[in-house]
Amino acid sequence: MVVLMKRPAATGWCLILCGALAGATLPPVPIQDTVDRPEADRVVEIVAERFLFTPSAITIEASTTVELRLTSEDTDHGFRIVGPDGIDVDIDITIPKRNRGAASVFFAPTEPGKYRFECSRICGAGHLYMSGVIRVTAASSAPATEGGSR
Amino acid sequence: MEMHYNRPIGDPFAAPVLDFHRFVLLVSHRFSDRIHFFGELELEHSVVEGLEEKGELELEQAYVDFLVTPELNFRAGMMLAPMGIINERHEPPTFYGVERPFVDTFIIPTTWFDVGAGIHGTIGGKLRYRAYVMAPLDSVEFTGEEGFRGAAQNGSNAQVRQMAVTGRLEYVGFRGLTLGASFWRGDSSVTLIRLETPTAMIVADARYRRGRFEGRAQYAHGFVEGAAELNAAVARLTGVDPNVGSQIRGFYLEGAYSVLPRDAPHELGLFVRYEDFDTQFRMDEGDVTLPGFDRDAWVIGANYWLDPDVVLKVDYSHVRSQSDIIAGPRSLNLGIGWWF
Repeated sequence: MVVLMKRPAATGWCLILCGALAGATLPPVPIQDTVDRPEADRVVEIVAERFLFTPSAITIEASTTVELRLTSEDTDHGFRIVGPDGIDVDIDITIPKRNRGAASVFFAPTEPGKYRFECSRICGAGHLYMSGVIRVTAASSAPATEGGSR
Repeated sequence: MEMHYNRPIGDPFAAPVLDFHRFVLLVSHRFSDRIHFFGELELEHSVVEGLEEKGELELEQAYVDFLVTPELNFRAGMMLAPMGIINERHEPPTFYGVERPFVDTFIIPTTWFDVGAGIHGTIGGKLRYRAYVMAPLDSVEFTGEEGFRGAAQNGSNAQVRQMAVTGRLEYVGFRGLTLGASFWRGDSSVTLIRLETPTAMIVADARYRRGRFEGRAQYAHGFVEGAAELNAAVARLTGVDPNVGSQIRGFYLEGAYSVLPRDAPHELGLFVRYEDFDTQFRMDEGDVTLPGFDRDAWVIGANYWLDPDVVLKVDYSHVRSQSDIIAGPRSLNLGIGWWF
């Protein structure tokens, strides 16, 4: 499930700069409607930038729901989760470019294993370096996150 | 894509230049979850003509990735050498200045690409590495003025009696900070096969962004063993002594500040960069050191992002050299770069 959120436009700056550029660029797109959001057991914020996700290693428990909040520091990126062999994960979304809001993914794995996530939208020369891993454990011990997410 | 306007200052014989510098096409294909292809085709200076010094059409990347685990993956094909900040991260909106840093031109010969194979991966989410074997440089193309620039074989019937080895280690454990270290080593005796020319380069670099501030630093140092013999051999071959240094070295420091609020629809960043680069940092005995190749430069300017993927650039560049005869070039530069 995917939820897109937009920040409110900074109207003043938009008017000044758009005026100076004689309409050379368009103002930010309107706020998009959200869809139903399941209750998440955890929230992990992930920042994408060429050619890195931060954090790029996350550990969660099976049968919990984690909300992955995704923002970009530069261009549009993709976010696809690839499950271990034999497990299909139907998550592949676009992360809006810098200052164009965020995207959220609700991920609720039931099977333990290593789930790779990767950029699925060509973002530059190092596009294929841009990946990370979600380790899903079966243990009931408190989850931990590597790489600095909350 | 990027287009530049370069206006020399103080040189009555140099004309302003308007150049469509780079047109880049990227292509990617996913054969399966574990097998990916990536390609980058670049046209430089807009026109390619036979037998004339015009533009270049370059296949800078064309490789296949075989993904095994996050820690260990395999790659083969035409690849970028993992050297420094710019070579693998050169989209115009990602760096300040109309032109790439001089250190990334005269010391690290960006865009540095060649055929090869290797491994890459991430350890613990904080340490990233790549290690490749690639086609070596051709020492005949080394020069005293431009170091290793133009010496990559670029996968064009590259001679690989001995492969070069290269690698990079990156620490990304703190958000906003990237620390990198790269190396290259290989025998560059490609054309002059009887002359061993072991060549090496090490690079250390850092990028840091916090709030509105962004800073970069990079140090690069190249080594050519047997430079005197190389110079003598090339002089016999071509009639011109290239005066290649036994060591080349450069570094730069760059600071930038974003002056508009973060939620503004556009962004404006001001920057200043100091560079020091010497393509004859050390010379073998008997070779001629030219003070004009010991240079430093100040570059100041601004990037104005109409969109995160579209940037207008302006800067003033002042290169100075140790020469008392030849003044370093000064120029006013304008550019537009975009990416999609």
